Amino acid sequence: MKIKIDHIAKIEGHAGFVADIADGNVVKARLDVFEGARLLEGILQGRSYNEVSQITSRICGVCPVVHNLTSLKALEAALGVIPSEQTILLRKLMMMGQILNSHALHLFFFSLSDFFGIKNDLELIKKYPGRAADSLLLRGFGNKIIEVIGGRSIHPLTPVVGGFKKAPDQEKLEEVLKDSGAALKAAVSLAKFFCSLKYPSFDRACNFVALGLPGEYAIYDGSVKIGKETESVSGFMPKIQEFQVKENPSAKRSEFQGKTYMVGSLARLNLNSKYLNAKAKAIFRDTNLILPLCNPFYNILAQAIELVQCVEESQQILEKTKDIDFESIQPPPIELKKGKGFGAIEAPRGTLFYYYEVGANGLIKNANIITPTAQNLARLEDDMVFYLPQLTRGGKALCKEECEDLIKMLVRAYDPCLTCATH
Amino acid sequence: MDLGERLLELTEKIKIGDFALMEEQKETENFDVVFVEGTPITPQNVARVKDLRERSKILVTIGACACLGGIAELKNYQDKEQRLRYVYKNFEGIANPDIKPVKFYVKVDLEIPGCPINKEEFFWAAKDLVAGVIPKIPQRPVCYECQLKRNECLLQKGEPCLGPSMLGGCGAPCPSSAYPCDGCRGPLKGMNLNNFNNKLKELYGFNQEEIDLIMQRFGELDDMYPPPPAKPENKIIKK
Repeated sequence: MKIKIDHIAKIEGHAGFVADIADGNVVKARLDVFEGARLLEGILQGRSYNEVSQITSRICGVCPVVHNLTSLKALEAALGVIPSEQTILLRKLMMMGQILNSHALHLFFFSLSDFFGIKNDLELIKKYPGRAADSLLLRGFGNKIIEVIGGRSIHPLTPVVGGFKKAPDQEKLEEVLKDSGAALKAAVSLAKFFCSLKYPSFDRACNFVALGLPGEYAIYDGSVKIGKETESVSGFMPKIQEFQVKENPSAKRSEFQGKTYMVGSLARLNLNSKYLNAKAKAIFRDTNLILPLCNPFYNILAQAIELVQCVEESQQILEKTKDIDFESIQPPPIELKKGKGFGAIEAPRGTLFYYYEVGANGLIKNANIITPTAQNLARLEDDMVFYLPQLTRGGKALCKEECEDLIKMLVRAYDPCLTCATH
Repeated sequence: MDLGERLLELTEKIKIGDFALMEEQKETENFDVVFVEGTPITPQNVARVKDLRERSKILVTIGACACLGGIAELKNYQDKEQRLRYVYKNFEGIANPDIKPVKFYVKVDLEIPGCPINKEEFFWAAKDLVAGVIPKIPQRPVCYECQLKRNECLLQKGEPCLGPSMLGGCGAPCPSSAYPCDGCRGPLKGMNLNNFNNKLKELYGFNQEEIDLIMQRFGELDDMYPPPPAKPENKIIKK
């Protein structure tokens, strides 16, 4: 039996899916990524350290903030620049905005319709106008955070190596804090709704990878947690084994120690749940689910919990940003020198890694970017090898359309971003 | 999507023929208006845009990638074969053409430029299109809106701002954030970039390398030539 889906809608970018099943066993399962290669790491060579973060921001229109900031972190590591506490606070706040706007989009507009077999979001919006409004409100809230700090919501302008070009307007930050009450209400309502949905069953042991930091639900900073082990970002990133598959060479896949692994909301929830904020923790506790969750479909639920987490976190950060002025976030004078640096941040879809080697003239010599989807692709394909027999074998075998719908649902649950995967 | 409810209101007046971010139905045969984003890289991309052109009355490109080539075009100014080999060990079967804006492949009726696009501009353009009118984007420089916002002039301060030569309509968010305009909306119609380039050197003291890095960022230079594609050696600003 052959399964071939030419085009999977409602994901970031273009991809199809193919699988060969012989005697009930999956011989191959592959997500075919149809994005053209922009050769990002290549074109950064010879470009200046002070512009590359603006260029890499353009890798993705959904998560430009995290590309921008991770790039800055790697450059700071390479140049030995240490940003101020206030700079880090504002960056953390921007990351909350980033995760909120991305999750709100994915949860309602990409994934929710799968639970009801609806093929068109306009129909979905008519059926769930309140949920649609909550999602749009949260997306707007996230965008506003980014815009107030970054100068605009897509491809922020103010973050630079070591700090910011301009300080956010305090009045506008206060406005965001005022808006956060409504945002929290919307997040709680959406999270409870997603917790009440029935998720397809599929359990499979998995290596989860996310940043970890004692006492914090790590997003902006941390070392890399690989299950129970921990490693520094600069220790872990070079050990990620990137490889290509012949049939679909432009999107790289990754493994760690010869095994696939998963990054993203589910990995974060599994590894860092004890550091969730009060409301997020309570909502998760009410699901009676037991960690670790090894069903990749629950990545959707984990994102919903993170909506609440991120609004709560934003409120806490906003309380601390009241005396931030330009002086406290102004970049320090930068001394150009040769250097290599790594950086990682939890993007909405999982850990994003950057590496730069900068020459003495401030121009980039080498660069590497490993995106969350580039890490999850191999795991997703691996999952399919085990999931498909469950759908096609035995007395419960599903018809072709049902089967394809569940395949698409699993792909969407991973929230892949193919423009990021290819970059 | 960020237009929120306003986008939904707009969708009530139209029939969506294909919008893969929001639905997964079979696309319609013919379109009144098609919005194209992104720059064609793979042969399938090129075939798709040509096919869409044939099936639509009005074709609109949105964003810097579709209108100018975008950041992917940086490799046009570099050794693109080396760039491909640098990124991929196995590069067989990976498309690596010179990057050209959509208008080099098909006739484009309207360009809504910018990286990102200005959602307000998109909204009024879409409303005009629904009413059967192809709107015109006013040919004003970025400086026009920048001055209305009473920003301090970055060029006067010694920063390499392209504002005077670039198409406004964005609301000047960059100079308002102390970030010099890097021309994501492309040059004004009829703008002589060569003159502007010389002014940047002579009046403001920037060196050619600096100017090149900025001008290349969004693929400014090919906009000077009408299709078919200009050869790289025709580019006026050389490394």
